[in-house]
Amino acid sequence: MRADDVIDCHVLVIGSGGAGVRAAIEASGYGDVVLITKTVPGKGGCTPMAEGGYNAVLKKQDSCEGHFSDTMKGGAYLNDPGLVRTLVAESPARFADLIRWGAVFDVTEDSQVCQRPFGGQRFPRTCYAGDRTGHEMMATLIDRLGLSDVRVLSEVTALDLLREGNRVIGALAIDECGDLLAVTADAVVLSTGGGTRIYDISTNSSSGTGDGFAIGYRAGAELIDMEMVQFHPTGAVYPYDARGRLVTEAVRGEGGVLVNALHERFMKKYDPERMELSTRDVVSRAIATEILQGRGTVHGGVYLDVTHLPRQQIEEKLPVMLEQFLKFGVDIRKEPMEVAPTAHHMMGGLKITTECQTTLPGLFACGESAGGVHGANRLGGNALADTQVYGKRAGEFAGKSEKRIKKIDPDQVRREKDRLSAFFKGNANPARVADELRQAMWKGAGIFRTAGELKATLDTVNRLATIPLSARSSRNLPECCTVQNMILTASLVCRAALLRPESRGAHTRTDITQAWDAEHSPFSHTFLSLAGEGIEKRGGAA
Amino acid sequence: MKEVTVRVSRFDPACDKTPRLETYIVRVNEGARVLHVLHAIHDGIDPTLSYRYCCGSGQCGSCAVLVNGEPVLACMEEARTGTVIEPLKLPVKKDLVVDLLPALKNLPPLQPGDVCVMPTKQQIDAIKPLRSCIECLACVSICPAVDVTSFSGPTAMREEMRLALDPRDSVNRVPQAIEKGLFTCTTCQACWKVCPKKIEIPGKAIEKLRALANKQGRTLPRHQEVAALVEKTGRSIPRTSESFLEKVGDVIEPYGPVKATVGFFVGCMYNLRQQQSAFDAVEVLRRNGIRVVIPKEQVCCGSPLIRTGQPDYVGTLKKRNIEAFTSRGIDTVLTMCAGCGTTLKNDYTTPFRVIDINELLTECGIEPPARLPIRATYHDPCHLLRGQGIRDEPRGLIRQVVDLVEMPSICCGSGGGVRSGNPEEAAALGKRRGEEIAKTGADIVITSCPFCEFHISEHTGKPVKNIATVLLEGYREKDRRKQGGR
Repeated sequence: MRADDVIDCHVLVIGSGGAGVRAAIEASGYGDVVLITKTVPGKGGCTPMAEGGYNAVLKKQDSCEGHFSDTMKGGAYLNDPGLVRTLVAESPARFADLIRWGAVFDVTEDSQVCQRPFGGQRFPRTCYAGDRTGHEMMATLIDRLGLSDVRVLSEVTALDLLREGNRVIGALAIDECGDLLAVTADAVVLSTGGGTRIYDISTNSSSGTGDGFAIGYRAGAELIDMEMVQFHPTGAVYPYDARGRLVTEAVRGEGGVLVNALHERFMKKYDPERMELSTRDVVSRAIATEILQGRGTVHGGVYLDVTHLPRQQIEEKLPVMLEQFLKFGVDIRKEPMEVAPTAHHMMGGLKITTECQTTLPGLFACGESAGGVHGANRLGGNALADTQVYGKRAGEFAGKSEKRIKKIDPDQVRREKDRLSAFFKGNANPARVADELRQAMWKGAGIFRTAGELKATLDTVNRLATIPLSARSSRNLPECCTVQNMILTASLVCRAALLRPESRGAHTRTDITQAWDAEHSPFSHTFLSLAGEGIEKRGGAA
Repeated sequence: MKEVTVRVSRFDPACDKTPRLETYIVRVNEGARVLHVLHAIHDGIDPTLSYRYCCGSGQCGSCAVLVNGEPVLACMEEARTGTVIEPLKLPVKKDLVVDLLPALKNLPPLQPGDVCVMPTKQQIDAIKPLRSCIECLACVSICPAVDVTSFSGPTAMREEMRLALDPRDSVNRVPQAIEKGLFTCTTCQACWKVCPKKIEIPGKAIEKLRALANKQGRTLPRHQEVAALVEKTGRSIPRTSESFLEKVGDVIEPYGPVKATVGFFVGCMYNLRQQQSAFDAVEVLRRNGIRVVIPKEQVCCGSPLIRTGQPDYVGTLKKRNIEAFTSRGIDTVLTMCAGCGTTLKNDYTTPFRVIDINELLTECGIEPPARLPIRATYHDPCHLLRGQGIRDEPRGLIRQVVDLVEMPSICCGSGGGVRSGNPEEAAALGKRRGEEIAKTGADIVITSCPFCEFHISEHTGKPVKNIATVLLEGYREKDRRKQGGR
């Protein structure tokens, strides 16, 4: 590496969503910070698209204990209780940070933050800014980032971590022209978000390709619960290219109802107590079942109806939904939406402590890249809270890392260069390989799973991993690396799904009958790393 | 599925001197957006095509491009065959990818003070319409002022206003905004018409910031002079000779049966400068059965004050003007000045209908004029095209008299107080209009606004005529032919 292609700093943050930017802001109080992002900061990832809200205990009638038990129950008791306690305890303070930095959340007449009911929660604690809460948070965070002296490398794609022995000391990355660069750091934070772009139908932005999972796994870190993929119950169904687009849970929070082709409010059959505001895994399975059993609409969905709500409520509380559907010729004030489940969030990820420390020294993780906070199913509104609570903690504890001298191993650089130059000799169109991956995953590793289908899917994924991808120019190199990350993430999902011999939360094995419910399951986390894989028994022992 | 043919701008700084358009034919799904056409080209034909996208759902602003010259979000704009796809008018890095960072750096961050004051619901409600900006830079791309002055651009002004409204921001945003070019905006409204979130930057940011500037005593001296003149004389221009209102009668009957009766709101410019255009308009109206009632106590509509942030006296003007017409039982008021028209329609609440002369003549239908052997081009007044949504009516009328060749609809530079406050900028924009006019090869320029008439005539050698004048020439020719028995 040329000397001027190496940047040294105290903390390197990879990813510029809600968690990454929050981590960079926090870390900047401890030393030099470099933020690498493969998109334009603030535009990529799912945070700017997030519509629902931010869960926080703000009212006297609410309690952290309540938020904790709702989250544990929603997570099918697979969550790490320590991570959940910290999440619910610190969420209000992180919300206050956003307010202090200028966030424009909806308030009541007497300046109280508005909070709405959301799935799986027994108290309305979801703060919101219309139906663009994520955009509001991202705008606030990017503003605050601009006041700091974090050095932002825009449209630079992280490739792999640099290691000195077991310790992570930085990362290799590639810019938009395809030039390699290295960043050495005393601590690295992986905050690259999720990966459900490995599925054909997904809510995710283009960057939801599991880069953090793949990069962490390749470096030797342990990942837990990778089988836990949340399918959001309501994604758009047509036109074809808009399949999977998020239709926020807030629609149901405002009173929207789900109705099948026979005009039945079918949630009565699946969760009569909570109906449309049941947890996402229950609602997704319900909708998928209605469709599979022939009670779906012409386009293969069910109806989500808000026509009974006052026009003003829709225009004020759901303006993004109104605008998006109008673009496709549907006025949600007058006609129902057609929706169907869509791959949305990865509950699993890099195993972390409450200080965001992964199993590799020098490596921290936060946000959707990390696992254990949401267990087997995430409550709506907890992800945005997660980005702030754990983004801050990752920045803090990465920032508190010791300063040290870092030495780059030239062999690691050479191996990365070899990996990249192989793409110039490849012959397979990466876009077509990605298409094949997405179809296979949607078919065989979706909402309803069997060992047979999972094994077949894993075989396909492993075959795709051997296909030599082709980069037409050096600007096409980041794309090839991303497809490799998608393939690796997909294989982790399939492997983990095969490791869990029960249905739990979002993970449904239709080929298994079990005598226990989630609270009494004998199993804890699945774990995957280069060193081995398995499933822990409840109580922690493998 | 359907087949779509598009032309896409390609440019690689490593080996190209200038961009070129490449033609691609691809198959996409029904309902596909422009973004999916780009995907189809990249995935199936040429993977070296560079373009940006992230959310695919109109929420991140990454994918803004020009489609047939208009800034749109590629992920929301429906794919149509035969379109041209180009990068925004910003420095191009490669193909459709532009350098966003310089414009994004212009956006000021909120500076928290020592104490955090939670905004009230009223403050939040005022901020919210300015808050949904996704920084796609469509507005910066299309802003004419950004091209010719050191204006930071519309979204930077939007952000200054958003901060000015927020009690948590500890900085006086007005001096900054002025430094960044607050008074260079002509209020042409191009920005909010292309904004994917429809943020009303001219009305909710530019004019409001100028009003804050006024409260802080920072209104441009030239603008203050205009306000003083309006308060003193009821007019925004000095009277140098007898006005139109002083010359014309109270009620003007049409030549034939009465098809409609309107009150005529003349406006300062036609009253005191371009009087002949107003007389020509009255003649055209008379020939088409319109009875014209002209109250003499009407005054300036107030637009020169509203656009420059000096709203205090406007209430008085509104009252005088509304009463001038209601006292005569008039239910339809006609404007021929685009600026007065947009002001009466959008800034006033009137009990009567306000109609532009192009709308009225189109609605009532006109006596067909003779065709003249002239090639004309038409300049859309911003306050007519965007302020009132009137685009087809003038063209329909013009085409009855002359051949029309189009040119791009860009501000002439005289609006928003810029001609008086920033004459160099106004001249630079006027010069560009002159260049566009020359490109069309037209013999004359037609327009429908006194400011445009006045300003453009200083920057082109071609005659600049009001649409009414051209229609009247068509009628005169018709009469000549009838008399001459040709």
